[in-house]
Amino acid sequence: MLALHHQTRRCGVNFREKVLNTESYLAERFPVEKLNYASMVEKKEVPVHRLSWAYYLGGLALFFFMIQMVTGLLLLFYYQPTVSDAHASVEFITEHVPGGALVRNLHAWCSSAMIAAVMVHLLTAFAMKAFGKPREVTWVTGVLLLGITFGLGFTGYLLPWHQIAVNATKIGLQSIEEVGNYLPGQLSTLPTLLKEIIQGEATVGQATLSRFFALHVIILPLSIVMLLGLHLFSVQIHGMSQGIDEAPKRTEKFFPTFFLKDLTVWGVAFMVLYVISVCVPFESLYSYPLFEPFNPKGSTPDGIKPEWYFYFVYYPLEILPFWVILLGSMIGGAVLLFTPWIFKNTSRRTLRVLAAAAAVYLVVMTLFGEKIYHLFKG
Amino acid sequence: MADAFLFVGLPYLALVVCIAGSIWKLRHAGFAATSRSSQFLESRQLLWGSAPWHIGILVILLGHLVALFLPGVWSSLMTLPGVLLAVETIGIACSLLAIAGMTMLIVRRLTSARVQAVTTVVDLVVVALLLAQVVLGLLTAISFRYGAAWSTGTVVPYFWSLFTLRPDMTYVADFPTLFKLHIVGAWLILLALPFTRLIHLLSVPFQYLFRAPQLVIWNTARRRQQAVTATVQAESRRDFLKGAAGVTAATGLLSVGVLEKGFNYFKGPRPDLEAESALLGKKLQRLQQTAEERSLELERQRSAMILVARYAELQETKGRYFIDYVMAPGLAFKGRDGVPIVLSAKCTHLGCTVGSEVDAQGRVLCPCHVSYFSVTTGEPHAGAPAKLPLPVLGWALVDAAGKVVLSRKPGGGVEGNSEPALLAQCSLYITKPGGAA
Repeated sequence: MLALHHQTRRCGVNFREKVLNTESYLAERFPVEKLNYASMVEKKEVPVHRLSWAYYLGGLALFFFMIQMVTGLLLLFYYQPTVSDAHASVEFITEHVPGGALVRNLHAWCSSAMIAAVMVHLLTAFAMKAFGKPREVTWVTGVLLLGITFGLGFTGYLLPWHQIAVNATKIGLQSIEEVGNYLPGQLSTLPTLLKEIIQGEATVGQATLSRFFALHVIILPLSIVMLLGLHLFSVQIHGMSQGIDEAPKRTEKFFPTFFLKDLTVWGVAFMVLYVISVCVPFESLYSYPLFEPFNPKGSTPDGIKPEWYFYFVYYPLEILPFWVILLGSMIGGAVLLFTPWIFKNTSRRTLRVLAAAAAVYLVVMTLFGEKIYHLFKG
Repeated sequence: MADAFLFVGLPYLALVVCIAGSIWKLRHAGFAATSRSSQFLESRQLLWGSAPWHIGILVILLGHLVALFLPGVWSSLMTLPGVLLAVETIGIACSLLAIAGMTMLIVRRLTSARVQAVTTVVDLVVVALLLAQVVLGLLTAISFRYGAAWSTGTVVPYFWSLFTLRPDMTYVADFPTLFKLHIVGAWLILLALPFTRLIHLLSVPFQYLFRAPQLVIWNTARRRQQAVTATVQAESRRDFLKGAAGVTAATGLLSVGVLEKGFNYFKGPRPDLEAESALLGKKLQRLQQTAEERSLELERQRSAMILVARYAELQETKGRYFIDYVMAPGLAFKGRDGVPIVLSAKCTHLGCTVGSEVDAQGRVLCPCHVSYFSVTTGEPHAGAPAKLPLPVLGWALVDAAGKVVLSRKPGGGVEGNSEPALLAQCSLYITKPGGAA
């Protein structure tokens, strides 16, 4: 009896210890005592050093996201998500609605800009070890945001319902089915089922368009807004990460100095984006037949490929066996998600080298992917 | 005779004297070509006199000048009752403001001993003349309402007749005395301009807006410190004002742009009849295409056989597209032996639609990832991205009487009579997988 009593007491102590540990863990990640004007605005400072430019990238991505929301809402006033009307309504926006071409162009160019900003943001945050304790939450939400941003790119690509859009989506979804070849027995049909659930029917059609529309316009943006809330909250409450190993010699006030600089960067970015959108229709980079309305009965035209930001996985997919890519992307995703724990004790120097290597890979695959592909496939 | 002098002689005299005199004055007097400042001597009354006077008189003068030099714009504006009323109200309010200000200035000149010390007789004549001129104008405006409208047909042509050197008095001859006095007053002021403090009209210090503030200081340590503080304050105020003006202008421009674009975007296009009918035509065509696809789908669910083509339409070198039972594209060819070849055209790699042109080696190409498929077997070439052959579909050749002449089930062989003469009369159908054909 006594022994039993003793045991429950020990158990209780252990349990209490665990609760206390969890509490202190959470308290460190969410230091609510800093939740006041003085520490979030008045005292917040930004280190000044040779990597300081990277502090602007997150804000830039946020700015691009805001542009996307505004232009996207504008497009919603005219876009019609049906197989028969989608292409015609997009054409109507571009050719007839006053300022419609500009709005659509802004939306298209800005999506690329947003993804580029997010990717560079990830690389620099990695190189600066901005995921170190207590910023794990910031990193993980950031990686999830990256995933959603890619999702937005993929779903948005289908909406105009032209040849390249539908065919690229078909190919993208088909690669889910490919996974089935590597699964044993009954499991091998699961990916096909998954693909058809995403698609809504046997082939890419009206059901797919409706689903992608809902995803692109409601579900993914809402998820972004929610995750972004958490992301920005943790950025703001922990302040900017130091970014370099030695203590920074100089800092500047977040408000107003850094904030005004941030606004300046936004202004310049908007001007560049605006000028590009006015001058260069983003379709001009492809040949026209790809932008004809999707024709389910004809043959697939030449030159179907995804947007540039998928090249880094698309061209290797073309060259290497599927399982290599599958394994690689699974490992890559896991590493990204668990970076704060995997690279806990890695020096910033090593991280910078790794980030530079990743950057080189991304740039080479994006710019020269097609040439490399032809090199391998003749 | 008096009229001829007052309305033709006096004006030319005034204009010539004003122009020549001003040039002479500005060339010879330099910085002295302005009004003598009395701000040091007395500043409180000056503020309450000078500010209302200058604001009021500038607005009125501007109205007069616009009416005089842009009569077309002005009179078309005055045809709008709202604008006319607004102009009348603003004009009368401003002349009252100017009269009040000028009264204050005259009282100041007459009561302040310090100001009296720097006042000349000419100054008093000028202020009296100005006050009289504004009062005359106000009285005219009240006795003969809507002068803003009627003056364009009467006074403006008179002025233009003077400017174009074809003086015409007929317009002014019948004016009421009150208004004649107002016009004569204007010429007198013009005449006096070069020789009085009125010359400051021509030396408005616009550059004050852009130069650094200059402070007059007394040279003691305390005063110097005060001056430094004042300079710092003035500089920072100027910087703030400049910034605020810039931001306001930018915001204004931006909102005008955004409003204009936004308004037109939501208003939408107003296509003309031709464009509208073209748009409608296109929409209808797309709807018909969709309807066609839907009916194909329904047909595939209901019927056991679906027509692909007449046998005579099949070719060896170019396939004929159709939609198979799973709503995927299919291709039909004529084989070398005359027996039809019917394949799915959905690439077994990633689902693109295979091309229909048969090359010299009897293959069709999937353009997406370059897989060549043999037409006869459906097999991809060695090393192609696609690993599986294109599936062979079940088909039947049916003659005009509805009798199956030749058929093939998926996985099975060709059954029936393949005599060419017979086949030429037939049509090619695909048969439902699993169904009885």
